[in-house]
This record gives sequence, structure tokens and C-alpha cells, in this order.
Amino acid sequence: MRLETFSYLPKLSTEQLVQQIRSILGRHLVVGIEFAVAPDPYDHYWAMWKLPLFDTDDPATVLAELDACRQANPGAYIKINGYDPARQGQVVSFVASQPEQGT
Amino acid sequence: MSGSRYARTVFDAGVREYREIYWTPGHQPRETDVLAAFRLMPQPDVAPEEAAAAVAAESSTATWTTVWTDRLTTLERYQARVYSLEPVPGRQNQYLAYIAYPLELFEEGSVTSMMASITGNVFGFKAIRALRLEDLRIPVAYVKTFPGPPNGIQVERDKLNKYGRPLLGATLKPKLGLSARNYGRACFELLRGGLDFTKDDENITSQPFMRWGDRFQFVMEAVRKAETETGERKGHYLNVTAPDCDQMLERAEFARQLGSPIIMHDYLVGGFAAHTTLSKWCRRTGMLLHVHRALHAVIDRQKDHGIHFRVLAKWLRLAGGDHLHTGTVVGKLEGDREATIGVVDLLREDVVPADRGRGIYFDQEWAALPAVLPAASGGIHVWHMPALVEIFGDDSVLQFGGGSAGHPQGSRAGATANRVALEACVQARNEGRDLTAQGPDILKQAARHSAELAAALETWREIRFDFEAVDTPDVMPA
Repeated sequence: MRLETFSYLPKLSTEQLVQQIRSILGRHLVVGIEFAVAPDPYDHYWAMWKLPLFDTDDPATVLAELDACRQANPGAYIKINGYDPARQGQVVSFVASQPEQGT
Repeated sequence: MSGSRYARTVFDAGVREYREIYWTPGHQPRETDVLAAFRLMPQPDVAPEEAAAAVAAESSTATWTTVWTDRLTTLERYQARVYSLEPVPGRQNQYLAYIAYPLELFEEGSVTSMMASITGNVFGFKAIRALRLEDLRIPVAYVKTFPGPPNGIQVERDKLNKYGRPLLGATLKPKLGLSARNYGRACFELLRGGLDFTKDDENITSQPFMRWGDRFQFVMEAVRKAETETGERKGHYLNVTAPDCDQMLERAEFARQLGSPIIMHDYLVGGFAAHTTLSKWCRRTGMLLHVHRALHAVIDRQKDHGIHFRVLAKWLRLAGGDHLHTGTVVGKLEGDREATIGVVDLLREDVVPADRGRGIYFDQEWAALPAVLPAASGGIHVWHMPALVEIFGDDSVLQFGGGSAGHPQGSRAGATANRVALEACVQARNEGRDLTAQGPDILKQAARHSAELAAALETWREIRFDFEAVDTPDVMPA
């Protein structure tokens, strides 16, 4: 199974993940974390992990939330999204964590 | 009663020079006027002012002679006016004529109305050697009477769950001659390998070797199967370009019944009336609309005569379409880099400032009209990927037809190679790396994890299309 952007690349290392998060924050997008146990390409509404991190500009905070989400939902796929309020839409989204990878 | 003597008593019969009325240098156009920039070559013995005035006159209120019925209206309200005329630097006997058209000359929501007026008789005028419509400023008041793209870029992304990268497509090859079942196979392999879309070639409609209904059914089986196996949304641009509007809508309706997310139309071949009908149907049904542009190079390629593609692109954004082919800059088909970027801006941005270096003569405001995804297609392969991501950015569809199916291990591997190359370029760009300088290294590095990409890089190593563009923007003094 593939899960859209970056799913054809080797799993991102933590350092690579931080660089992608930094890129989202650098564009002044709002980071959001969502998770699903059984991803379905027709499902637009994965569960939100808390509210979008509106006031976060530190990649470490995002990584900590990603980890907290993973601890609470060990069998879930977890996405990191970048949301653009001006465009009223998501402009970045990729799966940052998958259950079978054991991370 | 003598007709001629009588006539002279009520109006001044005969032929007047156009410039007496239509040449008004310094005239301030109104905010609601449609503005046109024409590249104009008068015949050798015709003054440029007269030639420009003739264009304004014939595309608005005048004919070759004065007529008594002119007196039944206040023509000043309806006259187009040449408000500026400047020689084109470095070109003999060539001028840019700026003409303002009052909004009342045009029908609401009608591209055909604009075309018939502004690009009507004047292009065949004997007093003019050559004429080209370079740009049109559509005033906001007029923009708001058009439906625009049925979905727009953000809605398409939201529907298909695809973010943060260009979309990937491929035109199925060979262009003609596959049976419907084989065609579906070609489609499945590409989608399964990692593309988002496959596409009917423009010459595929409904021929004896593959009728449209058979094609639609086999292709949709391929789309559904690829979605199930990959877990990603997929689509095929089902071409509904047809001999008449009834059949066009019948095909569109069948595509909808089969669950296709997207259809395709050739807007210049089908014509703006048919296209607008289809675009409105797509808005009603939520169908995405991919727009092909067969015929465009007949109209837009020659620098001295015709209509520049940026005008055809603006008309498409008004009439409606979710994707439009724009050229690739780097591939096999004509397209100057700066002019192409100008067209891409006109399709995607809400406010586009004038930029002569990109051939954009007027500020254009779209007043929240949805945006169109530019589709880059024609002779592109993996080595082009860094440049394509750099030039087109995320909001684009990159289409690798030969560049997928021509892979030595077949279509599926070719599709995977392109997807890996794309994602590697997006990742590198987000990390702040320079795609122009480091493109080859980024691809080679990604190929270490992808045998498909490694084979593709080997296959297309030396293929380039370095020809000078026929049509380029003029360099204008600042």
C-alpha cells in the first residue's frame, strides 16, 4: 500500500523529518497531526490529534506531539499536515509514521 | 426623389479615415473597459495610426463607409479607442496598439462574444499586413459574469487527497490503435506504478478499433483496481470531445455513472460554446475537467499573426477548466520559458501584475475565480524532473507519456521511476537544496533506492530538445 507524498521514498530519518517540518513552519503554514488505523483513500477525515498547532514554530514541539500520538495510538498511521488559512486548505500532507515500521 | 442628394442632407456619406474617430492618444480607459494589446504590421503605405484605428473601428462600431443608421445611436458610447501606439523595438514597421473596448460591447459570460468582436474581421483586413492579439485585460466587472473552473486547484486536491507535490500523469501510447481491453491494461500498469492520472490522447474519441463506451468501462475497471491495490486516488481523463454537444454530454454522463472523478475536453477543437456547456455541467456534477488544447499552435505560434496563447488561456479560465496544457519549457514542444511562466501565473494566481518580460501587458485581477492547474506534457522524462518542479512548483500536473511507457521494464516501472524522481525532488527542495544546480545528484542519489529510477536515468541520459523558441516576448526598455 502507498500513502501519497513521500510514500515512494525510503522512510524519512528523524533529521529528514525535522527538515520537512521546518519547511512547513518556514512557509508560515499551520501544522496539524491526524491519525487513522485503517487508511482509506476516500476518507477525508482522519482523527485529529488535538487541535492544529496554531502557535507552534518549533519543530521539536511537532515531533513531541507526533510521538505522543504514536504512544497513544500504537497501531495507527499518522500524518503531518501543513494548512494555509489564506487558501483555506491543506497544502502539505504526508504520512510520518506507520505501524509496521515499529517506530 | 434622388437618394444620394437626400442622403447628403442627413449625414455625411462617404469614407472617413478611421483615425478621425478611433485614434485618441492619451484617452484614459475606464476601469470596466476590456483592454487589448495588438501587435500590428500595417501595409507599407498605411500610416500606423490609421491601421490601429481601423482595428478599433472594425472590432467595434464601424464599417468601411459611414451609414445613415449610425445616426440612430450615440456611437461614442460604443466606440473602441486606440489609446496608445508604440513601435516594437528591433522590429521593422511593427507596432503595439492598445485598444479600449467599452464593456457594453460584450455579452455577459460569453467568450464567443469577445472572440467574435475582438478577433473577428480585423484579422483579415487588407490594410493590415499582420495582426496578433498579445493580451487582453478582462475587467473584474466582466470576470464576475463567468463561471470559471468547475472545481479549482484546492477543491481538486481536497477531493483527491493529494498535497505538497505536483500531480503525475501520462498519456497512453500508442496514440491510436489499441483495443479497449489492451488500453485498460496500459492504464492500469501506469496507475499501479505510481501515477495519479492517465490520459486519452487528443485523437482518441470513438473510432472503430475502440468505441468510447468500451474504453470507458475497461479504463474505469483499471482505475478502481489501481486504487484498491495502492490505497491512493486515481483517475483517467476520459475524452468526451464528440461530434456534437448531445454526444459530448452523453459521454460525460456515462463517465459520471461509472464513478470517474475526471473527464477531458479539447476546448479549441470543440469550440467555446460546447466547452462552456460542458464546464457548467462539471460544476453541477462535481466532475473535474481536464482541458487539452489541440489546434492552439495553428493560432498562437507565429509571433506576427494570430492570438497569443495567454489570451486563449485567459478565455479558458473564464469558460472553465480544472487543468490546461501549457507546454513544458524543457520538452519536445514549443514554449519560451518566461512566456510559459507568465501563462502559468495567469492560470493560478488571483492577481497577476503586468510583466513585459513575460509577455504580460496588463494587470489582471481574477476576483476569486477558481484557479487552473497547468499541465506540462510532451517529450519530458525523469532527467527533466528537477527543472519541472522548479519551474511549475507543486500546483501542476506533470505528464510523462513516452517517459513512462518507454521504460525498458515497462509502464509500471516507468511510472514508479517518475514518482520516485518527483518525490526526491520535492523532498530536496523542501530541504532548501537548489534543484537547478543539484538536480542530477538528487536523482542519482534517489536511484540508489530505486532500480526503476536507475534504469530510467540510463535510458534517457542523452535526450534533450534544445531548439530556439519561435515565439518569445520582446525585450522592452524599462
